[in-house]
Amino acid sequence: MEIPQETAKKQTSLPRLLPRIPYKASVRLWWAFWMTLVVLAFSGITLRFGVFEFQAISLDWAFIQEWFWFISRGVLTTISLALLAIVGATLLALTSALAGLSRIAPLVSLSSIYVSLFRGTPLFLQMFIVYFGLAEMGLVLEAFVAAIVVLSMNYGAYMSEIFRAGIQAIGSGQREAAAALGMTPMQTTWRIVLPQAVRIITPDIGNQFIAMQKDTSLASAITVTELAGRARQAGSPNSRFFEALIVAAAWYWLMTILFAFLQERLERWMARSDREVQE
Amino acid sequence: MASHHIVAVTNLHKSFGNLQVLRGISMYVEPRQVVCLIGRSGSGKSTLLRCINFLEEPERGEICVAGLTVPAGERTRKHRQDIMLLRQRVGMVFQHFNLFPHKTVLENLIEAPLIVKKVPRNEAVAIAEDLLVKVGLSEKRDVYPSRLSGGQQQRVAIARALAMQPQVMLFDEPTSALDPELTGEVLAVMRNLANEGMTMLVVTHEMGFARDVADRVIFMDQGVFIEDGPPEQCLSNPRDERTRQFLERAYA
Repeated sequence: MEIPQETAKKQTSLPRLLPRIPYKASVRLWWAFWMTLVVLAFSGITLRFGVFEFQAISLDWAFIQEWFWFISRGVLTTISLALLAIVGATLLALTSALAGLSRIAPLVSLSSIYVSLFRGTPLFLQMFIVYFGLAEMGLVLEAFVAAIVVLSMNYGAYMSEIFRAGIQAIGSGQREAAAALGMTPMQTTWRIVLPQAVRIITPDIGNQFIAMQKDTSLASAITVTELAGRARQAGSPNSRFFEALIVAAAWYWLMTILFAFLQERLERWMARSDREVQE
Repeated sequence: MASHHIVAVTNLHKSFGNLQVLRGISMYVEPRQVVCLIGRSGSGKSTLLRCINFLEEPERGEICVAGLTVPAGERTRKHRQDIMLLRQRVGMVFQHFNLFPHKTVLENLIEAPLIVKKVPRNEAVAIAEDLLVKVGLSEKRDVYPSRLSGGQQQRVAIARALAMQPQVMLFDEPTSALDPELTGEVLAVMRNLANEGMTMLVVTHEMGFARDVADRVIFMDQGVFIEDGPPEQCLSNPRDERTRQFLERAYA
């Protein structure tokens, strides 16, 4: 692109303090700068500027060393919870969305009650009701199972709307073309509509999964010893909550970054039929 | 009614709400006949086409294609199954192509033969490849539709319909969504198909095509046939004033 003459002149007339850095590289440099600040904030060092004194947060590294593996073992539980629950949620969401779009009155109403109920009550309460409440009624679930059931039901309700929107986004022309070829409504849904809908909603499902990775921490409230639960177990007797929770937080962040990366790769792969246009 | 007609439409009625779109249409098409349906938008010609393969469910009347008779307005399982069978005998080409964007050209062609007719894969692929030669798009076999021009997409759509080896082809304004310079390639494919003896029902605004290719032209207005005859008569020497007015505007 050509820069108009005037702006080009203006740029050269200003004295330049820093060498010109390409935008992307500059973002990376600033990223490194802020991250260094974050690390420094936890370094325990003291900075003095005249009368001002900054005391960085000082962590108990001996504690962290001692308890790191104890806490980190929770990562596996957290990931298993999140993976199993996202599978459950996806199946529920798909079922609920298809029911909601079926135009079969008992199914449509059931789907809407399900979505309304699970979006209308706190996840935290749902955990308690399914684990402690149902136990009182005589249905005793293992805490891990209860957590998966609740996370699946809750996220399934939110994702049901995502699936519904994705399915509706596929034009009626696709259904008509499939119907005119003699395909049944079922074949059309599974082979023509859903594959296209899934591609549209993959980013949204990814976001839901990222959110869920962290909502698994609520399972610690019903005695599941996942990452957050272990952090509390480690922090409580030693009065080192801060260190323990920081370790857990770092793990959550890392998992999220890792998944966001995988999600981006997946989306790029799924977009292959569009990408060919630009080749 | 056993007859030699490959398509027999009897006393077809269809309305959308209060609007009567088809008012007792009857039409009998001979094998290998090419019928062009012309008329203003809203005259019911597209609806008639879409009723023939039950994309629209007519309220009254009867459709018979190649010996399979399906009466309108039933709600039984048998009725739904008959519609599926009927659709296997009738190919349809849409104004907006409606190719499956997540499938390659070849996958678009073999999809229905594989899962509807349960044709073995190698056989379906062989049929598809022959058809791609026929529409001149062999080199686009493994390309996704988004990479094709409108004219190419419509030729693929024709091939996709032909892959089911239908006995009748319905064309619903196949060139209306195309840039003028791309209509020729689509019309050429249709012309070849007509020469090979395919029975075709074509809703179109292409008067040149109707004049050259059609055996029979039907002018529709307000849900009934106004004119029905060979193109010379229908297009050059219409009996009805409404046809005359329509043609004057079409050629203007």
